Amino acid sequence: MRKTKGKINATEKEFVFEFKAGRKHCVLKVPLQFPVQENVSDLHGRLMLLHNIPCFVENDLKNSLVTFIESETIRDYDNDAEVALQRLTSGEVDINKLTNCWAKAYAETTLEHARPEEPSWDEDFADVYHELIHSPASDTLLNLEHSYYVSVSELISERDMELKKLQERQAVEMDKVMQELGKTMSDQDVNTVAAQHFDAQQVLENKWASELKQVTGIQKQEYQEWVIKLHQDLKNPNNSTINEEIKVQSSQLTESVEAGERLFEEQRQLEESFTIHLGAQLKTMHNLRLVRANVLDLCKHRRHGSSGVKLRRLQTALSLYSVSLCGLVLLVDNRVNSYSGIKRDFATVCQECTDFHFPRLDEQLELVQQVVLYARAQRSSKQREQQQQQQHEMTRNGGSEDKNKNLERNPANIIPGEFYISRHSNLSEVHVVFHLCVDDNVRSGNITARDPAIMGLRNILKVCCSHDITTITIPLLLVHDMSEEMTIPWCLKRAELVFKCVKGFMMEMASWDGGISRTVQFLVPQSISGEMFYQLSNMLPQIFRVSSTLTLTSKR
Amino acid sequence: MQPLRDAQLGAFTFFASALPHDVCGSNGLPLTPNSIKILGRFQYLKTLTHPRLCQYVDISRGKHERLVVVAEHHEESLKDCQRRGKPVSPDRVLQIAFEILEGLAFMNKHGMVHQALSPHNVLLDRKGHVKLAKFGLYHMTDHGADVDFPIGYPSYLAPEVIAQGCFRSTDSSLVDPPLPSGPKSDVWSLGILLFELCVGRGILQNIDISERLKFIINLGVMDDIVTVLAEEHGCLEIIKELPEKASALLRKCLTFLPSKRPTPSELLEDSVFEGVSCLYTPYQKAAGLFSSSLRCAHLELPEDISELCKDEGDDYLAERSIAEVYHLWCLAGGDLEKELTNKGIIQSKPPVCTLPKFILEDGESFGQGRDRSFLLDDTTVTLSLCQLKNRLKEVAGEAYYPLLEDEQSSLPQSSSSNELTAAVSLPLIIRERDTEYQLIRIVLFDRLLKAYPYKKNQVWKEARVDIPPLLRGLAWAALLGVEGDIQAKYDSIDKDTPIPTDRQIEVDIPRCHQYDELLSSPQGHVKFRRVLKAWVVSHPDLVYWQGLDSLCAPFLYLNFNNEALAYACMSAFIPKYLYNFFLKDNSHVIQEYLTVFSQMIAFHDPELSNHLNEIGFIPDLYAIPWFLTMFTHVFPLHKIFHLWDTLLLGNSSFPFCIGVSILQQLRDRLLANGFNECILLFSDLPEIDIERCVRESINLFCWTPKSATYRQHAQPTKSTTDSSSLGKTPSYFSTSEFQDLPKTDLCREPLKLAELKAEVSPRISAEDLIELCELSGPAHFKTPVKKPKPGKAKILAVDIRGSEDFNRGHIPGSINIPYSSAFGPDGELVQCPATTTTLAGFRGRVIVIISNVMKNAATFAAHLVRVNYPRVCVLDGGMNKMKSTGLLTVPSPQI
Repeated sequence: MRKTKGKINATEKEFVFEFKAGRKHCVLKVPLQFPVQENVSDLHGRLMLLHNIPCFVENDLKNSLVTFIESETIRDYDNDAEVALQRLTSGEVDINKLTNCWAKAYAETTLEHARPEEPSWDEDFADVYHELIHSPASDTLLNLEHSYYVSVSELISERDMELKKLQERQAVEMDKVMQELGKTMSDQDVNTVAAQHFDAQQVLENKWASELKQVTGIQKQEYQEWVIKLHQDLKNPNNSTINEEIKVQSSQLTESVEAGERLFEEQRQLEESFTIHLGAQLKTMHNLRLVRANVLDLCKHRRHGSSGVKLRRLQTALSLYSVSLCGLVLLVDNRVNSYSGIKRDFATVCQECTDFHFPRLDEQLELVQQVVLYARAQRSSKQREQQQQQQHEMTRNGGSEDKNKNLERNPANIIPGEFYISRHSNLSEVHVVFHLCVDDNVRSGNITARDPAIMGLRNILKVCCSHDITTITIPLLLVHDMSEEMTIPWCLKRAELVFKCVKGFMMEMASWDGGISRTVQFLVPQSISGEMFYQLSNMLPQIFRVSSTLTLTSKR
Repeated sequence: MQPLRDAQLGAFTFFASALPHDVCGSNGLPLTPNSIKILGRFQYLKTLTHPRLCQYVDISRGKHERLVVVAEHHEESLKDCQRRGKPVSPDRVLQIAFEILEGLAFMNKHGMVHQALSPHNVLLDRKGHVKLAKFGLYHMTDHGADVDFPIGYPSYLAPEVIAQGCFRSTDSSLVDPPLPSGPKSDVWSLGILLFELCVGRGILQNIDISERLKFIINLGVMDDIVTVLAEEHGCLEIIKELPEKASALLRKCLTFLPSKRPTPSELLEDSVFEGVSCLYTPYQKAAGLFSSSLRCAHLELPEDISELCKDEGDDYLAERSIAEVYHLWCLAGGDLEKELTNKGIIQSKPPVCTLPKFILEDGESFGQGRDRSFLLDDTTVTLSLCQLKNRLKEVAGEAYYPLLEDEQSSLPQSSSSNELTAAVSLPLIIRERDTEYQLIRIVLFDRLLKAYPYKKNQVWKEARVDIPPLLRGLAWAALLGVEGDIQAKYDSIDKDTPIPTDRQIEVDIPRCHQYDELLSSPQGHVKFRRVLKAWVVSHPDLVYWQGLDSLCAPFLYLNFNNEALAYACMSAFIPKYLYNFFLKDNSHVIQEYLTVFSQMIAFHDPELSNHLNEIGFIPDLYAIPWFLTMFTHVFPLHKIFHLWDTLLLGNSSFPFCIGVSILQQLRDRLLANGFNECILLFSDLPEIDIERCVRESINLFCWTPKSATYRQHAQPTKSTTDSSSLGKTPSYFSTSEFQDLPKTDLCREPLKLAELKAEVSPRISAEDLIELCELSGPAHFKTPVKKPKPGKAKILAVDIRGSEDFNRGHIPGSINIPYSSAFGPDGELVQCPATTTTLAGFRGRVIVIISNVMKNAATFAAHLVRVNYPRVCVLDGGMNKMKSTGLLTVPSPQI
């Protein structure tokens, strides 16, 4: 609802101008709308032209016109002001309410009158970390992070081992039971055993989960304390021990280059890059990349040893508190948790490495859940208000019923097109993850540009604009896994839709942020064929205008 | 604009309020961001120049709706007087009051109200005179509608302002947004301010804002507000001892009811200022360029000329205008946001910390904490000029005052002049970023333009080097020969009465160069509409064609605060380059234009021309928007500026060369592609390197014989009296417009369109041939344009008559290739000595085909083009034209 400017009580007043031409006495009467919007010189020029007024009164006319408008405008101002004051004295407007409103406006918007800021640990830590990571100490930081990572992954592999053992043991047991089924054992017994197995698994998993939680908690605390200490020490140049420490440490952990392994890893990923220009007259340059990969590959740290890992880590760490963040769109269902499907896989990846900066994923999701409930409550109260108003004003209320339906669902769930955001410092190439809710509709072939998922993408890009996320990865087909119904025509149709919509949104973005260059990565599932990939990569330059290659020869 | 003198440059920043997510305007287009609205309204403030007001200089948009305003600044303010804690003497108070009122009255006259009057916004310059700061905030934010924070300071708000309420109240009971305040609100604020000065302390400082406001509102029931205020603050003694005049002033200002309170201009005339007003002379605006009054009418030179320079110190930079200094400051590496960040005014949090948590389908976000860095901190930061001064240390004093008399050396002869001449050869983009170079160019152009139209010729001369971006608007006006009282003329055009074209204009404006902040602002749209309407109304024989809006854009952008000049430039530009393009039925003009264009393509690039003709990709399909808008529809503004800097120096046939050079940049792609791809390519024209385009089009222009681009629908020759009034206007490449030359029988004669279309190659006039062949022509030819390069004739005349005719008399230097024998049945050039050696040897020069049968000549030329001979043209009228000149020779019999 946009507040329009106050009802301008337009009044018409008559401007009268008298002059003598020879013996004739002439009177010019002009009705004028107040407040006067138009330019006085224009008005004057038009009057001269329209009424054929002799040029010898030109200046007189102008002067009297200007004085007339000035004095009448002042009178209007006075009237308005006095009406406003009248409202106060008559009690039509409550003086307390009014002054409180002013006080609130000042307190909320100006630094001078705002309440002093309570210091926030997060931001202070952010500053400290950002400073350190851009100093020679960055190497030490990364090494520390890495060693923590190693210990967590050891823990995880231990857990996996134990779980595996348990599962093997249980399988053997189960086999035995199954063999005895119908002889000494009944169905009932089998069920009991199965239930026992499940419980045992749960207990083990919980045990490990709490252990992991504890370890990462300790790591995070140690890490943060260490960072603060390092920062203090660095500030104090007398204390040179830590500097020495940095120097010593930096020589450690030189990466053993295992080119072969890396090559193998990279080969599975197909990717192609494009530089494009957007805009009709003023063109802005952006980078696009078409990548065939698993969405979680962007999050997972590669196993230690392979080259480029450290660089990538450094890159991610350097830009964490900068103004060029990397985002990823993850397609999720309508529940805010991490129990199933891609959400579970993602949560597993998040656990592989301690997040030293942001809360754990489950904590973040809990918060999101609260926010969702709050948002729903806000919405429904606002809607109720609006409905009341509408009924009050007896105007049409067609569109509102639509939205009511949504509210009848579980308010804790989210609906397609909505998304929540989680922040991570421990993923390989991503800082921000947009969890975009989609439903089964995206699997069908006939979604349009008006589909909630597409609108969700638009809002995601908008957040990218407002929060300096300069690299964003979008699942091109709006699915993470391929299935039978996704035929070649389906893929092409979907890709075309998403390409075109994203192009439109990017052009729109240029008006939001003044055309900052961005990188958009389109991700296609690992399982599509190479041929399909090339078809898609051929489609891209037909939709986006790819910039011409720079020719370095001097002649044509 | 006034010189900088002892003032400083200051910057302050604030945020425009964010738009509600996803709301469309009534026309279905997205809403204009508030920051752009503010930016548009701000422009007017730059034109307000008054000794009591801080000159506004610039506004810039940052990320996330941040705005940074640059204005004149002084370090000292009334706040400092207040801080001293001593009452200011009543005389001084009166003086300050008078000066503030002068400023306020001037603002009111321009429809503005200060609203944010407070001690720290009343600055004092070195001499102790008042300079009002932040006076434009209320205006540029549409009375506070476009920002979240209230404008004004709680203690100084007038009661009626408080009563109106504030914007953005979340309370739904106060639905009506406040009405704008009038000039009298400032008088109240002034009263409070003066009261504080008189008693030497701030008032109402220690209580809560809402209590403070309540206190002010409740003053309405008091009889004597001044006494009540004094009692409240325990300074009744001081107030009682005030002289009669001062206390009368206070009472007048602090009148509760606005209707009883005087306006600033009424107060200025009041008797309380009897002793003060005589010390001041009312400010008079100096007459600018293009005004009806005499610019130097009031110039009085002292007896002794040297007295003039007496009070000028060594700081020459300070004598330049504020806008120039700021422009140079930016060039010297000034970065507004950095300055503000260094002073801690801009504090930004890492974006990763401020992300929202949850976003609804319609884009509303939740879970985002209030970001403190978005709060208003309106401290003004002084921009240090050290870096700039360092940069300009080497520039000699003479550079600031170049002598214009000497036609030979326009650049000052200083130690750095050698560097400067070297700088001229650098790419334009680099020159435009070079502080020192720009300083010298700006100073020079400023002086030349001040002497316009007297120095018109020198403006032309200097414009050939380059035009400093800061003065481009005026420089273009000078190049276009705008003269006279343009403002009066513009005012007298009726721009308000609805006309049928309004609807189309309304549709086109929101689609024209909207990436630009100025042109997309509502103010920009209003101005656009007015200038376009003015043009349509004042040219009854012409009509509005789509594209006129694009054509208007560069002029409006450059002269945003001077609609009259934008209008005048456009009115001068259109007849020069687009004569009759805007006729209701313009098809004959455009058809002829496009035909000449395709002849030019064939002339300069036969291979490309052959290919395009083959696939049927004719200029009608792509070039109409190019020429109808003079390329403003296809290029962004910054490229148009560079293109037009050169275009304005050329004549009306220069656009052809630009068109050809654009095609040549895309040559490879065009040659490689078929019709469909070409259409696609031009529907969204790829990036064009504009500097290269300009360079190549100049080159093409030099190769084009003047008469090759003859058009019968071009602008007819101006009457001689008109052009001789100021001497001939020098043009860049040729002495004058082709059409300006006196008509002789050696000129080109008009052709029917169908005939013109049938010919592949352009015709040239006999005149041109004579000139190009350097034949001793008739006497009426004045000066040779291009210096003859000995031994390297640029032209080859090919006589295709039979050899007998040739031997009977021909043009000196011409060769004979009889038409009948030259080409084989399938259009191949027949191998004969004349063709193989001579023609091939002269490949690259202009080849003029001469015949006595025009049709034969045209066919011959078409054949040559077919086999990719560049620069082929045909002599108009053929041999018969030449016969009358008596220039033909008979070859001496061969020995």
